[in-house]
Amino acid sequence: MTDNQKRHSLLRNLFGNRNKEIDIMTEEQIQSPGRMMLDNFLHNRLGMTGLIGFLAIFLFVLIAPHFVPINLGESDNTQTNVPPTSTMMSYPKEMVHNTQAIASGPTFGVGCDKDGHTYTWGYTKITDVIDMKNIPQEVLDAKIVDVAAGYDHIVALDEDNHLYVWGSTRLGQDRIPSELKPSRTKGTPEIIQIEAGYQISGALTAAGNAYFWGNGNMADIDVKKEYQGRVKKIAVATYNYCLLLDDGSVVYAGLQKNNAFTKVPENLKSGVVDIAASGDTMAAVDRNGKITVWGNATHGEKNVPETDSKPVELYGGRYHYTALMENGDVISWGSNSHGETNVTASVNSGDIETVFAGFYQNYAVTTSGDIHTWGLKGHPLGTDDLGRDILTRIIHGGKTTMTVGAIAEIISIIVGVILGALAGYFGGRTDMLIMRISEIIGGLPFLPFALLLSAIIGTRFDVQMRMYLIMVVLGLLSWTGICRLIRAQILAEREKEFVLAAQAMGVREGTIIFKHILPNVLSILLVQATLGFATCMLTESSLSYLGFGITPPTPTWGNMLTGANNSIVIQQYWWRWVFPAAIFGLCTICINLMGDAIRDAVDPKSLGR
Amino acid sequence: MTKYIIKRIGYLVLVFFIVSLLMYMLYNLIPSDPARDQLEGMKSSLTPEAYQQMYQNLRKQMGLDDHILIRYARWMGLIPNMEGKFYGLLEGNFGYSQYFKKNVIEVVVSPLKTTIFINIFATILALGITIPLGIYCAVHKGGKIDNFTQVFTIIGYSIPVYIIALVFVFIFAVLLRWFPVSGMGTPGANYTGMKLFLDRLYYFALPLIVMTFGSLGGMTRYVRAAMIDALSMDHIKTARAKGVREKAVIYSHAWRNALLPVVTLIISWFLGIFSGSVIIENTFNINGMGSLYIKGLQNHDYELALAIQMFYTVVSLVGALIMDLSYGIVDPRVHIDK
Repeated sequence: MTDNQKRHSLLRNLFGNRNKEIDIMTEEQIQSPGRMMLDNFLHNRLGMTGLIGFLAIFLFVLIAPHFVPINLGESDNTQTNVPPTSTMMSYPKEMVHNTQAIASGPTFGVGCDKDGHTYTWGYTKITDVIDMKNIPQEVLDAKIVDVAAGYDHIVALDEDNHLYVWGSTRLGQDRIPSELKPSRTKGTPEIIQIEAGYQISGALTAAGNAYFWGNGNMADIDVKKEYQGRVKKIAVATYNYCLLLDDGSVVYAGLQKNNAFTKVPENLKSGVVDIAASGDTMAAVDRNGKITVWGNATHGEKNVPETDSKPVELYGGRYHYTALMENGDVISWGSNSHGETNVTASVNSGDIETVFAGFYQNYAVTTSGDIHTWGLKGHPLGTDDLGRDILTRIIHGGKTTMTVGAIAEIISIIVGVILGALAGYFGGRTDMLIMRISEIIGGLPFLPFALLLSAIIGTRFDVQMRMYLIMVVLGLLSWTGICRLIRAQILAEREKEFVLAAQAMGVREGTIIFKHILPNVLSILLVQATLGFATCMLTESSLSYLGFGITPPTPTWGNMLTGANNSIVIQQYWWRWVFPAAIFGLCTICINLMGDAIRDAVDPKSLGR
Repeated sequence: MTKYIIKRIGYLVLVFFIVSLLMYMLYNLIPSDPARDQLEGMKSSLTPEAYQQMYQNLRKQMGLDDHILIRYARWMGLIPNMEGKFYGLLEGNFGYSQYFKKNVIEVVVSPLKTTIFINIFATILALGITIPLGIYCAVHKGGKIDNFTQVFTIIGYSIPVYIIALVFVFIFAVLLRWFPVSGMGTPGANYTGMKLFLDRLYYFALPLIVMTFGSLGGMTRYVRAAMIDALSMDHIKTARAKGVREKAVIYSHAWRNALLPVVTLIISWFLGIFSGSVIIENTFNINGMGSLYIKGLQNHDYELALAIQMFYTVVSLVGALIMDLSYGIVDPRVHIDK
């Protein structure tokens, strides 16, 4: 009966012709009990909200994982604890048509325009006290012509060849060599290129001398004297650098003997026009447009795509390269985990003048001065302590949590229904035995017992098997409620005439229980299943939260919150717990609302008749 | 009555032995060899044959080769152990904690006090709030407060307690700075008497609030449902028709009838928080039974874990017994001895 009809009949009751009123018996005849339950449910506003909310979340975690792949082994020390942001490539509009230089840090960007103004954008906070946004006053006053961004520091060069460094300077990032500083005898050396790596920086003078400074503990920042005066370009990887000399050859000029870069490929002895470095590899392009990549290529940096046009300039990000072609197009290759190689068609309109690539970002400047970007915009829900994207983990965690919850609940329903039906129908010894077993299992302290099982048996299995184990353990420990309920229902149903009739007709006992009696208790089972599903999800997440359920790196909504119980995470890295907690809470609330609504719908007493 | 109690206790003892046997078998699934552990230090100074000989002797001496039921009976203290004495769980020998290098019984004493303290406190708090609230909602069914409570309590019982804990820590400890984030007492402070109690209460306040809040949802709904059932009985109509004061109707006529399901709830809930406080203790770094249990499991100190597990089992069995017996006390119509 719809609301409209209801109001209608109320009006009729009061003022109208009473003959047309549908009395309760007619209504019962028109509506089958199933139809009535459905109607009751559909008119329960809270229940429908729950159903819609649950379906939305359910479909989300069911479909989204296919579009957002997850790399379980992933960890990225450049993206740890980044708050939700999408501004990593949001250059200020003052830069448009006026771009001098842009550099990308892990989560921030820095750039200067042709008027010498310096800007920063993105997530600029490196530590509690260091914020890249705080550009030193002397930099703001100077006319900056070039910038370079490292892992946690920025280098800037002004028109008077002064170098400025800000950001983290704890490990000598600002220890600029004396050769680059103005001196009374030689004046200030003219600097033509600056680059930055992980806590290291490099500068090239017009005289062909290259200098590197910064944290030399891990990085190779010394330069062999024999190459000084001949350097045309420098390329800085995370810890290493290489040089392009004026004779067109590429050399590794550091003092380390055996790293991935020291063996420069043979074909780079001459004819090289540009070099670039990603995090762990270096690349060079020669006069003929042939690109050679060497080093420790782990993300497909060596898979240079075939192109019609000739690449002339190279730019390196953290795990990708971008090349500018002769015809003004660009190509990107290497890792695409953050979309850094997704060059859109709109970018490739053939008029790219130059590209600024770094970490996961690319900025292409057209001849008209427009800036196209592609790569990592930011993490919509932030990242965790290992630099993993929270949204990805929520999506995949939801899938795990729901799968475990559902399968555990199905197991408990199957066991509960079968044992409950047998106990209820046969009674006597069977009943006694089953009820005693159920009492023992129901009497076990649930959480400690599940912890014990997981700790003792779980250690022998790998991650996948452990997940199945958790499902089985949860299922086998939580069937007692359903068993008792089904038993009680069957006890009531089996005395009814239709069972006697079936027995008289010689229907087998199994058929009577499962085909004649069970359908009568289905609605109650549905309520139990819904509420039990929420309970199973809660238990799984509690186990995972305590570290005894599904263990990282497999994400679940429970284990994403492990380790969140300290004030630092709660306050400063709020996105690490707020989002998983919110979606999980929302999901269980929706399920419970739905379960309550179903219970009200199937319970004829709730109608007040 | 006495006969019934004896029967129940007999059944309880039987269940206790079955469960403990189950636990013991589970515990024995862990690959470990105490004999080898003991000989590990002497291994280098012995020839392989002599070592093997000693190893076999020691195994026999420790009774490791006996059937699992015999070993269980020994552990339980039902039959004399290898030294010929009855000294097992029943005689108070709870085993030796490898992690703390102490007897389990010594390790357990102070966490047990803590756990009982916070659980009893949380029970009092929760009952003090939920019973009046549940009654009020039942009496004013469909009113504004009732509707609000219905929605609010669904949130309360849907959200896992550790998420409630995180939110409360964020609000009360981080934002408002009313309570400490975690811990059991001011570090370095040497309080005594009343001051110690107040300091403890200050540190336990937030966990207690979270525990109370976490249980509000389910309990309020339960009390409300029981009360609504009781209020819809015929004798309530009679009482009202007679002109009995509404207060008397609610608290004397209806509430007594609602008490039976509520008592069941209170006891099972009280047992639930014993194991449920595992999460709270772990989250707030409280040295209680729950966090001790987790510590035992994490550090593979299974003798400790097993002892605590047995504690939980005994608590839940005794609780079930009390629940059964309390029916008879609360509701004189129930003749449990039949």
